[in-house]
Amino acid sequence: MTIQRRQFLAGASGAVLMGTTGLARAQTASLSVPWMGWPDEQVAPLMDAFEEASGIGIEYERLPITELFNTLEVRLSARNGLPDAYLVDGPLTASYAARGHLMALDGLMEGELGRYVPSTLVQGSYDDTLYALPLGTSSQVLFYNKAHFAEAGLAEPSADPADRMTWEALLELATALTGKAGEFGFAFENTNPYQLLPLPQSWGAEVIGPDGLTATGYVDSQGFIDAMTWYQELFTRHKVAPAGTFEGGIMQEMFGSGQVSMMVGGTWNLEGLKRFADLDFGVVPHPYFASGKPVTATGSWHLGINPRSANLEAAKAFATWLSTPQAMDLFFSLRQYPPALEQIWEERAGTTFVDPAWEIVQYELANTATPRPITPGYREYEEFLRGAMRDIQGGADVAESLARAAASIDREMRKYR
Amino acid sequence: MNYSRWTPFLFLAPALAGLAVFRFAPIVVAGAGSFSGMTLTGALEFAGLENYRWLLTDPAFWDSLRITLIFNLIINPLQLALAFLLAMLIFQPGRGIWVYRTLLVLPMAVSTGLSAVLFKLVLDPNLGPLNGILEWAGIGAQPFYRAAEQAMGTLIGIATWKGAGYWMLFLLAGLHAIPASVQEAAMIDGATPWQRFRLVTLPLMRRPMAFVLVADTAINFLFFAPVYILTGGGPNGATSVLMFEAYRSAFTFSDIGRALAISSFLLAILAVIIVLEFRLMRSPEDRR
Repeated sequence: MTIQRRQFLAGASGAVLMGTTGLARAQTASLSVPWMGWPDEQVAPLMDAFEEASGIGIEYERLPITELFNTLEVRLSARNGLPDAYLVDGPLTASYAARGHLMALDGLMEGELGRYVPSTLVQGSYDDTLYALPLGTSSQVLFYNKAHFAEAGLAEPSADPADRMTWEALLELATALTGKAGEFGFAFENTNPYQLLPLPQSWGAEVIGPDGLTATGYVDSQGFIDAMTWYQELFTRHKVAPAGTFEGGIMQEMFGSGQVSMMVGGTWNLEGLKRFADLDFGVVPHPYFASGKPVTATGSWHLGINPRSANLEAAKAFATWLSTPQAMDLFFSLRQYPPALEQIWEERAGTTFVDPAWEIVQYELANTATPRPITPGYREYEEFLRGAMRDIQGGADVAESLARAAASIDREMRKYR
Repeated sequence: MNYSRWTPFLFLAPALAGLAVFRFAPIVVAGAGSFSGMTLTGALEFAGLENYRWLLTDPAFWDSLRITLIFNLIINPLQLALAFLLAMLIFQPGRGIWVYRTLLVLPMAVSTGLSAVLFKLVLDPNLGPLNGILEWAGIGAQPFYRAAEQAMGTLIGIATWKGAGYWMLFLLAGLHAIPASVQEAAMIDGATPWQRFRLVTLPLMRRPMAFVLVADTAINFLFFAPVYILTGGGPNGATSVLMFEAYRSAFTFSDIGRALAISSFLLAILAVIIVLEFRLMRSPEDRR
């Protein structure tokens, strides 16, 4: 009997203790923030700096890119206070905003919007309202291994956008390089619509209907099929690229370690490739199809606030802090996304951005950068198209894969019509 | 002793309550939810038969149904047969038999999700060790879960690696429950080992086999984690089983009505198939 009472008391005091720690937590708000799965040394300094500046605790989770989207979808559809704030991929702004998952930021950022590069505000807006705070934009360039070119006796490509290489010329180089200095001549860093839509777009294909809700007739159009057939043959016919490397970060590893001689990738590689001490690489503009026009990918990460958050003030403080030049300069130094704040461009104009790679990026952002489709159904569009792109890389019938993706996208778009 | 006719129910109450909360309530919620839709802002609204009408006119659904049925037509008999074979092999006591028993049961200790992750590494077409071995042996690298022709087979292989040992345990218990005297009597009557297996062992194993077949079917119709982890329903929809379709509708495309309609449909098919399986496995005595 005594034992029972003692157990009961222990249990009760435990419950009381848990209750008080719960209270303590609520008083010093700690923000729950899902983040991209970048290496921790590219994330922790930013979070630490915010904690130090604000006194607000932050619990961030680093999730691989596809997991991030799935996790957010599951948590947001529960429609409760979690997460407090989250990373929003630019084209998903409309999707989240239309479903009430984003707090409008116009009030918070009143009078501040003039400090931003205009295209980044467009990506973060829906119905003429800013819902997602821009953290940067993005641009893709062609990285090449200088030693491999010397070893294969090839002349290095030109860094002048006026002298931009065609995909046809790249294929010749890739064929000459494959099996010589590196195992593979060429690779795209990722297999997703962000990375690969510039292929059909450069070919001249429209990638979504004018209403933003129709894929059939666009995703399965002849131009799209032809461009993706060219892509598939890199893997199946010419065998100049490694198939099935879908995990994030693998391609940077393969290029950095000399297994791949050329890679189309984002500016974050300028920083990321520094850890390969033996690598001597050059940067030239993104290639295009001789019959078409130059197109480059753009758009990037934004910060969104969950309107249901129990820590709204703290979440707003995080957003406000992320709009300061200090925070954005730190963000840039960690990940090297082209800045969203004009001030960072100006401050680093004489230092970072004199690098020829950044001259190319500035040219692309001004001339060839083409955002991903603007549609509330971008989530559905991306999900099915990414699947099709992976299947195509693996050798699946191109026309059939695209037709299936188009039909599936149209089916899921019905809720937005 | 204070005994009333309600006493048994009192003892059964916790189990019945669990059954009601964790089994029947979700079925009711899914069934009712399949007649509703969710607006973009998360409000539920009555949709009548709209979800089912959409489903039945959607080629992706019929593809997925076909894939689910083919998957189950292969995996359930395969796992039952393999489990039975394994049970027969380790039924006879012998030196070191515990080593084999342990090895066969070991995959059970690995969770389904973890086993999918392990096989993703082992079978990775580029970096996986198995392709290294196959190339060394002159067979050549295989695409495994990355090719439409091999993906389903790969998933069946992984599920069977994990499942066969588990189901074997039930059949092993069934074999031990067959009285030795019956086998002895058959031997004295001059039955050959094959005759003893076919006319004594097999008929007496009907009930454990029926249990394994039905339970295995129920699990395999709800097969999900390896699809999510390894193939994402691809390549080209080759492994898009109904559970995965339902998951994607609910959690990727926020179309909860379609997800619940698929779940309800799945439950109905499963109920029909399990009734058929019970009839198939009924022994002649039960039929009377």
